[in-house]
Amino acid sequence: MNEGLDTSLTVVLAKLEKRFGGRLRKQTECCGDLTITVEPEDWMRVLSFCRSARELAFDQLDCLLGDHLPERTGAPFEVVVHLLSHTHGHRLRVTTPLAEGQDLPTITGLWPSAGFDEREAWEMYGIVFAGHPDLRRLLTTEDFEGFPMRKDFPLRGTVGGRIRTDLRGKI
Amino acid sequence: MSGTQDTQGLVRAAQALSRRPSLEELRERKDRTRRHLEPTGDVMTISMGPQHPSMHGVYRAVLDLDGEVILAVRPEIGNLHRGVEKLCEHRTYHQIIPLTDRLDYISGFAMNHGFCEAAEKLMGVEVPARGRYIRTMTHELCRISNHILWLGTSIMDLGTQTFFTICFRDREYVLDLFEMLTGARMTHSFARIGGVAKDLPDGFDHRCRKVIDFLPKRLAEYERIIKQNRIFLKRAKNVGIFTSEDCHAWRVTGPTLRAAGIARDLRKDEPYAAYPEVEFDVAVEYNADVYDRFLVRMKEMRESCKIIRQCLDKMPPGPFLAPDAAHSLPMKKNVLRDSAAMIQDFYQVFRGPQVPRGSVYRCVEAPKGEMGVYIRSEGGAKPARVRFSTPSFYHGQAVPALVEGEMVADMIAIFASVDVVLGDCDR
Repeated sequence: MNEGLDTSLTVVLAKLEKRFGGRLRKQTECCGDLTITVEPEDWMRVLSFCRSARELAFDQLDCLLGDHLPERTGAPFEVVVHLLSHTHGHRLRVTTPLAEGQDLPTITGLWPSAGFDEREAWEMYGIVFAGHPDLRRLLTTEDFEGFPMRKDFPLRGTVGGRIRTDLRGKI
Repeated sequence: MSGTQDTQGLVRAAQALSRRPSLEELRERKDRTRRHLEPTGDVMTISMGPQHPSMHGVYRAVLDLDGEVILAVRPEIGNLHRGVEKLCEHRTYHQIIPLTDRLDYISGFAMNHGFCEAAEKLMGVEVPARGRYIRTMTHELCRISNHILWLGTSIMDLGTQTFFTICFRDREYVLDLFEMLTGARMTHSFARIGGVAKDLPDGFDHRCRKVIDFLPKRLAEYERIIKQNRIFLKRAKNVGIFTSEDCHAWRVTGPTLRAAGIARDLRKDEPYAAYPEVEFDVAVEYNADVYDRFLVRMKEMRESCKIIRQCLDKMPPGPFLAPDAAHSLPMKKNVLRDSAAMIQDFYQVFRGPQVPRGSVYRCVEAPKGEMGVYIRSEGGAKPARVRFSTPSFYHGQAVPALVEGEMVADMIAIFASVDVVLGDCDR
């Protein structure tokens, strides 16, 4: 399964497996990218290990994004992060499945650049990041209703996005 | 004679090395240039933007000020949000390409290129050599036009009016090349999955060479003018220091990172297109301030001219689009002559490419920084999720870390030096 991986990613995978063993739900490889899936409870532990372990040293969070897979009824949401190590030059993708209303600890403490990404994932999918310093809407207006990137949200229409004049001066 | 020149060269190299500040030194310098004030009762809150001329679009920064010192900044973005990622889920891969160059409309081709690289990685499409060279050349033209525009606007923010028009005049030469090559001056939609839309038109080679012979001379002149301008030096040197560790923490990439002494360039580190086959240097500077970001961009433009010249010299003949009937469009000139090409055209336009399941992430070095594209496919012609992690989004987020403790007037210089475009930021 791991034939397409280059050596540094094999080291990463071995290190993660040694540390977390059965806690890693699965690992997949597609087009040379390594993806590991973890339980939401292990999110913080795995990511802080990725940040601090010397052989991994993921010092940059390339992006964090939310995703919606409505056919997966038990856990329709997903959070995906892409990590990059400037020391070793390797990349890793870590994902976690989430149920509706289930929250995830924020990783802004590990990488401050996650701040906007988590705000975006919250406003677009309704994924709550516990402990985020400023979890407000980012790209849509403050009074926008609904989570527009969910698959059941229509592409066209006049739902939400009404400008409320009574909020002027308060935001 | 040559012996003394060698010694002088060595002495100069040694001096240059000794002038490179270490990370600790930069940290200390940053600490010294920022003012650390405790917020007292006299905090004034003002809103800078979204219509402020130096905010390069519709970026709004809410500033907490003590006198002229910035205590805190709250960036507000989203005024230009168009829901590009949601639209992508409802379009086939070919139809997404015109959406991408509306992200960073200053350097549209870089965005096209990033998306196509990601899609090709997912589909396993191999781009033919001519296609790769045309892409590399166009990408570098894009970098030049982006940096010239940046130079004009950022110098204007610091108070020079004429420079803006001079830079726009020079950018016009590059835009004329784009017009000749792609038919559009800014939103080119020129890349295709598996190559590019068109071959080089007749006479392009000659005109392009004229421009890249002429531009470096002009740029050297501008650089000389600016480097001697005392007002610019006062406002740019030792202002807005952002060390490499800050850059990594806030995902600040591109020229800002290279000005902090890190020779990271995806064109070298994760090569794509024809970059492995051309020779160029990565522009690096070490003082991590506004002035060094200016130097990096000036050097990058010269390197881009070098790359374009090599591309024109080495441009191999042959097809510019992959002959991959399942994933890419046929060459347009064949569509009305060849029945197989016509069938492929209908198939691709009405059904779209047939893409395997999977997810990929691919980064390219756009003029403003690293532009990453994440695509998750569930099979079929439309992606299930697309995410553009664009450089300006993260640069806009890093503004508080860049300017807190500086003066309001310096914020203009610092904000200009990181090069944020709001189409790229708000998506």
